[in-house]
Amino acid sequence: MAEDVKPTRKNLMAIEDRIELSERGHDTLEQKRDGLIMEFMDILDQAQDVRSELNSDYETAQRKLNMARAMEGDVAVRGAAAALQEHPEITTQSKNIMGVVVPQIESTKVRKNLSERGYGLLGSSARIDEAADAYEELLETIILAAEVETAMKKMLEEIETTKRRVNALEFKLLPDLYENQDFIEQKLEEQEREEIFRLKKIKGKKEEQEREEREKEAQAQAEREAAVSAD
Amino acid sequence: MSTSGTSNPEYVNARVRARRAALFSDEEYRKLVRMSPAEIARRMEETEYETEINALGSRHSGVDLIEYALNRNLAKHFDDLLGFSEGQIYDLIARYLRKFDAWNAKTIIRGLYVGTTREEIETDLILAGEFNDRMIQRLLEAQTIEDVVTILQGTIFGAGLGAAYADYEETGLLVPLENAIDRAFYEHLLGDLPRSEPVQLYREFLVAEIDFRNARNALRLARSGADLDPAAYYIDGGELFRPSELNMLVQSPDELVTHLRESKYARDLSAVLDDLETADSLIAFERGLEKALLAYSKRLGNVYPMSVCPVVAYILAKEREVENIRAIARGREAGLSQSEIEEELVIL
Repeated sequence: MAEDVKPTRKNLMAIEDRIELSERGHDTLEQKRDGLIMEFMDILDQAQDVRSELNSDYETAQRKLNMARAMEGDVAVRGAAAALQEHPEITTQSKNIMGVVVPQIESTKVRKNLSERGYGLLGSSARIDEAADAYEELLETIILAAEVETAMKKMLEEIETTKRRVNALEFKLLPDLYENQDFIEQKLEEQEREEIFRLKKIKGKKEEQEREEREKEAQAQAEREAAVSAD
Repeated sequence: MSTSGTSNPEYVNARVRARRAALFSDEEYRKLVRMSPAEIARRMEETEYETEINALGSRHSGVDLIEYALNRNLAKHFDDLLGFSEGQIYDLIARYLRKFDAWNAKTIIRGLYVGTTREEIETDLILAGEFNDRMIQRLLEAQTIEDVVTILQGTIFGAGLGAAYADYEETGLLVPLENAIDRAFYEHLLGDLPRSEPVQLYREFLVAEIDFRNARNALRLARSGADLDPAAYYIDGGELFRPSELNMLVQSPDELVTHLRESKYARDLSAVLDDLETADSLIAFERGLEKALLAYSKRLGNVYPMSVCPVVAYILAKEREVENIRAIARGREAGLSQSEIEEELVIL
């Protein structure tokens, strides 16, 4: 990895910038992850309550329906159910929890009074009323459970993503960047040392050359002086 | 077969006594409670339900088979009752059995309301009332609810339905139509009853039925907390409430219970009223009312053995038998325990 990077000062500066940004991002993401986990724990408690409420509501509703079918007959219960005109409606909106968009489900016409259920009061019984009541309550709990559990699922996905990002930064990106930084710094130091060595070499060569020239000149001078004295 | 001519209570009562003797005993219920739905169906094949179980066995199965066989057997017996009654006793029996005409009218209206097929509607009918086959066929051939209302114009339900149809058109809800049908049935129970001592007892029974219906509806309204006009759900003819006091009593369930405690039914209902004050559910109270009415009809039947009273006692006992067997079968299907099912049964 590090070998792919050109060991230039410009790259070093770019890597240092990236390290700074990544460290900041890592801290922010860690905070986000912790915040999400705290929010998730709250939602988890709520979801556990709703889930157990859902189970007990379902059992109650099913029991009351069975009782109504047993005592009033299946035909009477089906007839009462068929008389219903206005069916429950749900609308979904969204809300934001720490950047996670979760659904907010609003329901209408779930709870009905005796005159809205469609069947006549005079010819029916409390068994049918209580079965209808229990199913209306169950439906409300299902809607709440759908909202809470979807929020929980989305929060979990977001926590997972954030955790992956934090881990990627912590265990992959930042170590790579530090390695690249070290690599470039080492290379640059090496280049600097080579440069100094090269300069010293050049200087030495130059001094040698100058010395040789001086010696040559001195020799020439001596030869010239010897020639003059010989004359 | 008709209201004209001499009444034949002796003959009708002799036939009814034989049929009453064939009703299931407590011991039989105890056996059924221990059986699975398939075993109950098989056991029914060995009783007087054999014909119905065999006739319906190819179309239905499981608890549905039991329920439809029970309904068909009930219809056959009550139709027989009307068949061998004449004169005044026919009229007295028919006015009580018109509750099945009300049931059929409501079933057909509900079927048309949700677009159920003719065959499915026909399966759910209980042909135990006064409507003859031609009338039932005409009702089944109706294409719209308006057609049903028009066909029923010549019956006791006609006037009320005609008035309620406008409400139905306005709201799109079946409530006005269903209430009109049930109200017509209850209000015609007491209309022009002849004056004689046995009929007076029958009247008392019918008044008790209306009172109990008013009491359970008042309690349902009181418990529901809905802002509904109690007068709209009040059935004339009872002695337990006046419409004016019902408005006040529905606002306060405690006062309603106190009112019931101070009524002539206090002795019959004291146990269920004690439970009612602490219970969340009205089911035990309704069961208590059904038991009290059954006991009342049986008592009347013993006081006047040659009147319509034993016939009414038989009608109630037969209905109760059907409801008990159905409760056992459905209860077993739903996995209820023996004690839970036994608690739901109404046995005298």
